[in-house]
Amino acid sequence: MSNNLITDKSVISLNELCQSCGLGTKTIISYVEEGLVDVGGDDTSRWQFTQTHIVTIQKAHRLERDLRLNPAGSVLVLELMAQIDELKNQLRRYQQSGEE
Amino acid sequence: MEYKDYYAILGVEKTASEDEIKRAYRKLARKYHPDLNKEAGSETKFKEIGEANDVLSDPEKRAAYDQLGQGYRPGEDFNPPPGWDQGFEFTGRPGNGGAGAEDFSDFFKDLFGQARQQRQSSWQQADFNSRGQDHHARIIIDLEDSFKGAKRQITLKVPELSPDGHLVLKHRTLDVSIPKGVREGQHIRLKKQGNPGHGNGEAGDLYLEISFKPHKFYHPEGSDLYLDLPVTPWEAALGGKVKVPTPGGMVDLNIPANSRQGRKMRLKGRGIPSKPPGDLYVVLQIALPPANSDKARQIYQNMAKELDFNPRSHLATGS
Repeated sequence: MSNNLITDKSVISLNELCQSCGLGTKTIISYVEEGLVDVGGDDTSRWQFTQTHIVTIQKAHRLERDLRLNPAGSVLVLELMAQIDELKNQLRRYQQSGEE
Repeated sequence: MEYKDYYAILGVEKTASEDEIKRAYRKLARKYHPDLNKEAGSETKFKEIGEANDVLSDPEKRAAYDQLGQGYRPGEDFNPPPGWDQGFEFTGRPGNGGAGAEDFSDFFKDLFGQARQQRQSSWQQADFNSRGQDHHARIIIDLEDSFKGAKRQITLKVPELSPDGHLVLKHRTLDVSIPKGVREGQHIRLKKQGNPGHGNGEAGDLYLEISFKPHKFYHPEGSDLYLDLPVTPWEAALGGKVKVPTPGGMVDLNIPANSRQGRKMRLKGRGIPSKPPGDLYVVLQIALPPANSDKARQIYQNMAKELDFNPRSHLATGS
């Protein structure tokens, strides 16, 4: 089975992204405009999406749809979640050091 | 078919008003949304809540459900297998309360088959010869698999609609080679293992997002690794050479004299062997020998006598 690691170097265009995840261009543009992902410049035809971008966009879209948010709201939620994850990781490390 | 108590799932009374149901659903949806709640089982719970809301928020469906439920004992709890949301493949959550063109005879199909229905309708909107959608799933592997690369068999759970309209979980087993140096959050693509294409379009791809099981002593961060290394007070104070585990094997580490608790030392390129390789950060943890013998107590007493050391000198003024 062909199977390959997706690095941040393999990128896809806006059109390919719409195909891949079934979202409309408008939806995706709204997330880029909110600054959820940095895909390079103002020219939509030159945007490049990495796999990490794609997953982030899909998360934002699920949150928006499932919790009746707007793009700004779902982007805010994701940013706060990322902060919480980072803090939890730090906390875990401190707690583990403390147990020694 | 298993009877589900949708009222219990939402935690409302059978007499709950529409608004009460809406509030209960919204609160639970925020709590269990799988993108927000990473605990095992949140995805199952979220789907259940969505399903319960879908029925109870629609007056016609609710009436039908109430009638159907007569004589049934409020639910044996549905017991999903542990860790079900790991390796769960999905393209999206069932739509919430989609407009009611469904006729009543398809009631259960509608209840339990929405994921598929939605998928089908999104195919219908697609161009005739279009490529299938890509699928995403998360897999959890051992950190060691990334050190050397590995071949692993993984099983994904895929919800499918059986001919009689029930949602069943199909297991799908795939052989995956884990590339050496893979980091948490990276993706492995399995070509053409996603949704079938439409018309002559080719199938979509399946993307597996990598996460690691917690490791005994390494904590990965990107391609870097952190390791807490216990050292004795004399190793920290006088310096010395100690053995440290790294993904590539044991190495000697020189501890500089007068190292403090928590000192962080970087072993360049000794982290996850990505391209470029990550670093290994060794964090010194000074372990105190217990004063559990006369000899040990004697040594501590000598230190107290001989060393002019007050770690609290900065607290001395009391203001």
